[in-house]
Amino acid sequence: MVMYPTRYHRPKSLEEALKLHSDNEEASYLSGGHTLLPALKQRLARPSDLIDLAVLPDLRGIKLEKNVLSIGATTTHAEVATSLVVRKAIPALAGMVGSIGDRHVRNRGTIGGSVANNDPAADYPSAVLGLGATVITDRRRIAADDFFVALYETTLEPGEIITRIDFPVPDQAGYAKFRSAASRYAVAAVFVAKFGSAARAAVTGAGSAGVFRLRDLEEALTRDFGPAVVAQCKVDPAMMMEDLAGSSEYRANLVLVMARRALQHLGEACSYK
Amino acid sequence: MQHITLTVNGTEVSRDVEDETLLVVFLREYLRLTGTHVGCDTTQCGCCVVHLNGKSVKSCTVLAAQAQDGEVTTIEGLAGKDGTLHPMQEAFHRLHALQCGYCTPGMIMAAVNLVETYPEPLTEDVVREEMEGNLCRCTGYHNIVKAILAVAAAKQLAPAGME
Amino acid sequence: MLAERVFKAVGKPIPRNEDQRLITGKGRFSDDFSLPGQVWAAMVRSPHPHARIVSIDPSEALKMPGVLAVYTGEDCRKDGLKPIPHSPVPSTKFDMKLRGPGDTEVFAGPNILLPPDKARHVGEAVAMVVAETLEQAQSGAENVVVDYDVLPWVADSLAAVEPDAPRLWDELPNNVLVDTFFGDAAATDAAFASAAHVVTMKTHIGRVTGVPLEPRAALGHFDPATQRYTIYAGSGGAVRQKQELAAVLGVDPQSVRVLSFDVGGNFGTRNRSFVEFGLVLWASRKLGRPVKFRAERSEAFLTDYQGRDLVTEVSLAIDKDGRFLAMRASNLSNVGARCVSLSPLSKGSGLITGSYNIPLATLRARATFSNTMPTQAYRSSGRPEVTFAIERLIDKAARELGFDRLELRRHNIVRPEQMPYQNAVGSIYDSGEYEKNMDRALSLADWQGFPARRAEAKSRGKLLGLGFANYVESSIGSPKERADLIVRSNIIEVVIGTQPAGQGHETSFAQVTADLLDVPFESVKITLGDTDIVSAGGGTHSGRSMRHASAVIALGSEDLINKGKALMAHLEDVPLDLVQFEDGFFRVASSNRALNWFELAPLAEQDGLPVELQGGLRVRRDNEMHTPVFPNGACLCEIEIDPETGSVDIKRYATVDDVGRCINPLIVHGQTHGGIAQGVGQALWEQCAIDPASGQPLMGSFMDYGMPRFDNMPSFKTEIVEVLSPTNPFGVKAGGEGGTTPAPAVVMSAIDDALSEYGNPYIEMPATPTKIWNAIQEYKNRQNAA
Repeated sequence: MVMYPTRYHRPKSLEEALKLHSDNEEASYLSGGHTLLPALKQRLARPSDLIDLAVLPDLRGIKLEKNVLSIGATTTHAEVATSLVVRKAIPALAGMVGSIGDRHVRNRGTIGGSVANNDPAADYPSAVLGLGATVITDRRRIAADDFFVALYETTLEPGEIITRIDFPVPDQAGYAKFRSAASRYAVAAVFVAKFGSAARAAVTGAGSAGVFRLRDLEEALTRDFGPAVVAQCKVDPAMMMEDLAGSSEYRANLVLVMARRALQHLGEACSYK
Repeated sequence: MQHITLTVNGTEVSRDVEDETLLVVFLREYLRLTGTHVGCDTTQCGCCVVHLNGKSVKSCTVLAAQAQDGEVTTIEGLAGKDGTLHPMQEAFHRLHALQCGYCTPGMIMAAVNLVETYPEPLTEDVVREEMEGNLCRCTGYHNIVKAILAVAAAKQLAPAGME
Repeated sequence: MLAERVFKAVGKPIPRNEDQRLITGKGRFSDDFSLPGQVWAAMVRSPHPHARIVSIDPSEALKMPGVLAVYTGEDCRKDGLKPIPHSPVPSTKFDMKLRGPGDTEVFAGPNILLPPDKARHVGEAVAMVVAETLEQAQSGAENVVVDYDVLPWVADSLAAVEPDAPRLWDELPNNVLVDTFFGDAAATDAAFASAAHVVTMKTHIGRVTGVPLEPRAALGHFDPATQRYTIYAGSGGAVRQKQELAAVLGVDPQSVRVLSFDVGGNFGTRNRSFVEFGLVLWASRKLGRPVKFRAERSEAFLTDYQGRDLVTEVSLAIDKDGRFLAMRASNLSNVGARCVSLSPLSKGSGLITGSYNIPLATLRARATFSNTMPTQAYRSSGRPEVTFAIERLIDKAARELGFDRLELRRHNIVRPEQMPYQNAVGSIYDSGEYEKNMDRALSLADWQGFPARRAEAKSRGKLLGLGFANYVESSIGSPKERADLIVRSNIIEVVIGTQPAGQGHETSFAQVTADLLDVPFESVKITLGDTDIVSAGGGTHSGRSMRHASAVIALGSEDLINKGKALMAHLEDVPLDLVQFEDGFFRVASSNRALNWFELAPLAEQDGLPVELQGGLRVRRDNEMHTPVFPNGACLCEIEIDPETGSVDIKRYATVDDVGRCINPLIVHGQTHGGIAQGVGQALWEQCAIDPASGQPLMGSFMDYGMPRFDNMPSFKTEIVEVLSPTNPFGVKAGGEGGTTPAPAVVMSAIDDALSEYGNPYIEMPATPTKIWNAIQEYKNRQNAA
């Protein structure tokens, strides 16, 4: 359908962007547009103003400093996936981002847009949570564990802009996802990461409340970071989403299968369908 | 209203458009370049793929205003000025990689960008994976894969006379 | 049958004439057209599966900026608009004769452009808003207030035929519009009673939708100066659309012009008129502006005519040596809220016995209404369903009775010496070498190497299954076709009434014409799609086009050559029998006077010619053919299943297709490829799912409706076989639908084979990973419990 009429702005600075937003109650930020514009084309929302953050050069770029990989909020998926810096530092992250959507979507979609939207089947939330990243906004730093609230909901305040996301570089990481035949989003996907003796495992696509950490698995992985321990873990079907792409029992099974495969192929991202 | 200026197929154009005008609508209705098509409403089918600043994008999910100062190439701008077909167009024709032709403009633009930018040699598996953003209902994809692999193998990307 | 000759163009894989405009962005699809002053239409659609329309209040919408008008069913009634004459009952000589219950006329349910009484399916248009811009029309549509009185609904066909099911049409006592019995009941019952074995299967071949990538669109324009309606709208046949739209508007067909140029895929979805096409023409007259409608993809998912949806129960009576004695079938077709075409039920009915010599059969063919979008023909209308039924039944019989599934097929397959073969429900298969197809397909797919590949897959923890299916299908189609052959100054123009949507008629018809008239392929131009030029024609569906076109062009070419000879004789003042046509030249015997077509044509324009030679070097020829042809073949596929996820991967797919004479193998292979994809799509991903609690369609977009894509389809090995059909001059059968016909059967056969060690569970299409995984779990649970 045709979008409702709106006003488009190209702010010259972050401050101007923030001011435009506070001056217009019903404004939305625009980055790659590949989450927002499809929703607007369905006439699901009517923002009065669109504030284009992608025109702000400071929000874009990739930097590795002291074992922290910083990715600017308007950096495209294509840029992250092909970045030699990311591929060397966290290859599973580069691989995961290279599996988002398709080539054309990756040329426009951005990390900031994806993370701010918190689609329960998107890939990025599992990496942000799985790596224990920090979301940096115009006004504060938010730990991943404090960022994701529920489906499509985060702790961002109205008007708050993500400026970059800092990923600590793990010793090892892996990602495996099972994609829905139609939407190509994750039916279940797991991002695992090892930091010394600590381990994190984050699941997207499967949880009825959105992205979550698989504590059971994390405990087992601190004892032995490898695929063998997955067999000892359980996922509660009651916590799983249920739809045409999969029942809750099926998703619960898939989570463990994907976890095991992520651990079997560390340093990579695997995609199944 | 936005006053936008961009280069389309090598020619600078300026227009006043409604802020919410999509790039595909700008191309089809303002510039009457009807080669780029709309096939879905969920950014999935790829019929609308064009090149924006050297990258393949889905023009149904880009505002015309976001293309300000940009360079757009559509299917109409692919052949040489003298009409010489791009090798991808030739290959699609020779190998019967189109039937109804509706997905074809977006398909060709996607394929050209794939062959031009993919850093490693293309195999059938890679082509099938990298082209998943384009749907075709007529061909079953078999001949399109053949055409793309043929062009990649020949690796001639600039038609004679194009400069 | 055409005298044997050496063809120069026919049979060659010539790249297509239509490509040039399509690969350079110069195609002419319906939405590419615009007219000055045009306005936009948006539809108000019922959110309910079944509801009485109590009232429609357009007042809020009419206040909105840019909104010009709101039209309802009441307005249609006031202006005397007639229902669309869908003619749903197939009625060529050889179509299976479907009848209403008690041998009555079939009641189809009238299709007024906007219903005055009820909405009978989710998405049925109940009003149309017209505004200056599309956005304003959509906003206006959001503000039309419709008061519905919600009624009980039924979507599932088995539920719809229950006596107490909600009734869609007051004209019928229930929802059953077709109930016809075919075959010899007494003899069939006797064969079943005495058979050593009886195998039965019940299955539902579900509903899918065509998804042509070009959403339907129409631009309608009424010109008060000429009192003519013009519509730009892609369809399955411009001439048919013209006649239907004229009937709806209550005008002479000559005052309607349909322009259908490039059509972005059809597959059957466009074979019947859409209400919006009539509405934009009608609105254009009322408003004095051209009116444009363009469906969103979500609208296309909801309200394109849909396909399949057959419940079938089949039984086979088999003797102790594995010979098929008799068959019973009960087929129930879900036609949706009204009946626009009974082609799937009818065509399937004629092919229930498939490629096998089954001497006796009975069939109960029923159709029911339901509160769903109407269904009609979709790629191989009706044949994939019945092919699925017989092929899967044979697999089941083989497994249960301990026969080898290939040997069981060979033992019963129709033999070449039996051709022409009349099957137990009366269809006469014209020609074919079915067992040879089997042999060739098995070899093409290297079935000998399968055990090793299966073992290799097992070593990786995967299950590899081999699927096999034979098929025979029918091509009937509208029996009439017309061709105008016109020799111009340097081209030969053929005007014909087919309607391609990718099948390459501008190329293949030119090949036929070029060889018949002995001119270079490049000299022939095919004209289609403008009803002011195309005066008659049957459109394109059911694989009819090549057969009908080649036949009428062959007859027309004969007429044209005769006219050329007569003209030459007149001009040279010699007796007719001294004029020969040879190698593209008209020659006078024993002289060196010779003229080719382009030299002769201008001489045909001169004054003073006798009456029968006037009018230029051109002919019009009509032809009518009712005799169906039966394309046939065999196919194999190998599918690898990951038991941990239920994931399905097609590793190998090979087909052999007897298309009769193959005019252009490049085009025919392409048709096979695309046909395979549509059949595989139905088996693995596609489904027009409906929520059983609310009656709401669940698949509104590509986010829900899985499609064949680059990365889930394999490359194919396809081979063409040409057993010429004796039924038409070129021996053509059809090549457009054989890819689809066996595909659902062969895919499910492979999945079944892969899951042999899990008890051959029954899995209904689409065989999604979650269904496969569930079936494996259920088997494991049963084993654990035991």
